[in-house]
Amino acid sequence: MTQANITIEDIPVSTEGITAKLVKFQGQLDESNVDEKAKTIYELIEKNPQNLFLLFDFEELEYMNSKSIGYLTDWYGKITEGGGKIVVAKTRSNILDILQVVGLTQLINCYTTLDEAKLALLQKPAEGGAAS
Amino acid sequence: MENQQRQPIQAPPAGTPERVVSGKPMEITITLPTNAYFVSGIRDFTLGLIRNMTEFSEQWAFRFQSVVDELCNNAIEHGSKQGDNIVITFINHPKESIEIIVRDSGSGKAKMSASELNRIVKERTDPHYVHIGIRGRGLSKIVAEWTDELVFSDTETGGIEARVKKYLKDPNLPQQTGNPLENPTHLVLNV
Repeated sequence: MTQANITIEDIPVSTEGITAKLVKFQGQLDESNVDEKAKTIYELIEKNPQNLFLLFDFEELEYMNSKSIGYLTDWYGKITEGGGKIVVAKTRSNILDILQVVGLTQLINCYTTLDEAKLALLQKPAEGGAAS
Repeated sequence: MENQQRQPIQAPPAGTPERVVSGKPMEITITLPTNAYFVSGIRDFTLGLIRNMTEFSEQWAFRFQSVVDELCNNAIEHGSKQGDNIVITFINHPKESIEIIVRDSGSGKAKMSASELNRIVKERTDPHYVHIGIRGRGLSKIVAEWTDELVFSDTETGGIEARVKKYLKDPNLPQQTGNPLENPTHLVLNV
């Protein structure tokens, strides 16, 4: 199995009823490991079906295949249905290239820094943020 | 140069100053067991090969890495049963193109014919097609988008041969396509 890790940290929020998490991806998500690794995010969604706000830190994510893109799209659908949001930060150029070619950057905003992404994650929808 | 061609091909360290590009087409064939674990090695190999043995840019080295990964995974999933092999061939035509061919054995449980695959890819590359579900983006959204030719053929053993080709349109330009991906977290190496 190719090496990949997903770690989850709380993001402090002042608004009640909102759960915000920083999800750090590390390594390579490919056919050998993505089904197993995806369970971590599905468990998080299952525990927090409403108002889940996730910041995906892709700084150390070196590779993702088409199935990983499929999972990301599925998580986006489930989380937005529950009134939550996903944003992505610190994406390497090869990962951003893949997200762009499959059209995912039209759904999920990508930010250069964690601070920008956190700000955008917790903004009210009407305020909107400029994505990179 | 001759000595270099006889050496096993390995990815030289990042920043290697000189690419190995001769005038003759270079063909490399690799046979791989049908296990997703081994595909990460082919991805590394592809990255090193494109970076160091062709005139394609760094951005395209990563793109071919994805193209090869998706073709191999498709061949393993649909075309070759556990314990069989898939065969990957790289043909570099200097100053012209790179061609990648992936063949499966035709022994897979979920095997398809070339015409079925062609139909599926054609359907999914339609701009109005909406992708739902986890699967189905590899060939149509990655392989088809990042290659100039994508052809599936039935082989004599009942398998599929997927053949892709990407032309190097302007060998004098270090980047063949505009790179919109200015990202300070990623270093683009001038090799």
